[in-house]
Amino acid sequence: MSERPIEIIRREGEIHVPAIVYDGLKPADLVLIERAWGPTRLRLLQELLGRDVPRSEWPESLHWDWSRKADELRYLEATGFGIVCEREWQGVMLTKTVSHVAQLPAEKGRPLVYVDYLESAPWNWRIRPLGQEGQYKAVGTVLFREAVRQSVKEGFHGRVGLHALPKAEEFYRRCGLTPLGRDRRKQNLTYFELGPTEAEGFLRD
Amino acid sequence: MAEKRTMTLNLTPTEMEAVEELARRKQLSKTAVIRQALRLYQIVDARMEKGDKLFFEDSAEKKAEVMMI
Repeated sequence: MSERPIEIIRREGEIHVPAIVYDGLKPADLVLIERAWGPTRLRLLQELLGRDVPRSEWPESLHWDWSRKADELRYLEATGFGIVCEREWQGVMLTKTVSHVAQLPAEKGRPLVYVDYLESAPWNWRIRPLGQEGQYKAVGTVLFREAVRQSVKEGFHGRVGLHALPKAEEFYRRCGLTPLGRDRRKQNLTYFELGPTEAEGFLRD
Repeated sequence: MAEKRTMTLNLTPTEMEAVEELARRKQLSKTAVIRQALRLYQIVDARMEKGDKLFFEDSAEKKAEVMMI
């Protein structure tokens, strides 16, 4: 596992705080992460149900379980990334390098880094109906940047693809990804892709 | 990315041409072509070991099983 210092933002006071991004998580890491995050997921679910918050306002990844994704890290194509800040996992991402190829017309069929899952820790979610503002910001941006960096290191010229959850679509548009339509094979989520030129711009910003 | 180790790969001229053609078409280095091939082989092998079958689907969504030997 390799590590690199980065910064994320503590929402209270908008303070930049040092953190470490790890590359090359092991299956056991995902099990431990879910063990740490699970109780907060459960508490949030109970509060959302208790306050009759409509499902449309629930965090879209509330039902995720990283321990169920642990086996995927046995394959060479999969890489796990995680951010630790103040001794807690603040975000996790799983990428793949073989099972998807570029769809942008100019890049069609070329390899890319596919972001299979990316999630910030449940205490970082902003859930307005519960009055939860979230502890740290920029976790998603830092992890997505790691996916672009991985693509460059792999020799994929910064190409990155992903299916975005509806509430994350605007974020990925701002990162410079192009929406390429809904994918009925992937819960009708919109597929987004970052091309080499946009990747260069994203890493420069 | 993890530490790398080096190996010598002996290929026939035809195999080398295939690697070079893939590298050109996919905008990859030859090393990256081999690494991608290994990753794909590992996934296919693991699924076949479990008893899964490998299919290709054409643009009309017609499936054809790939016979692995």
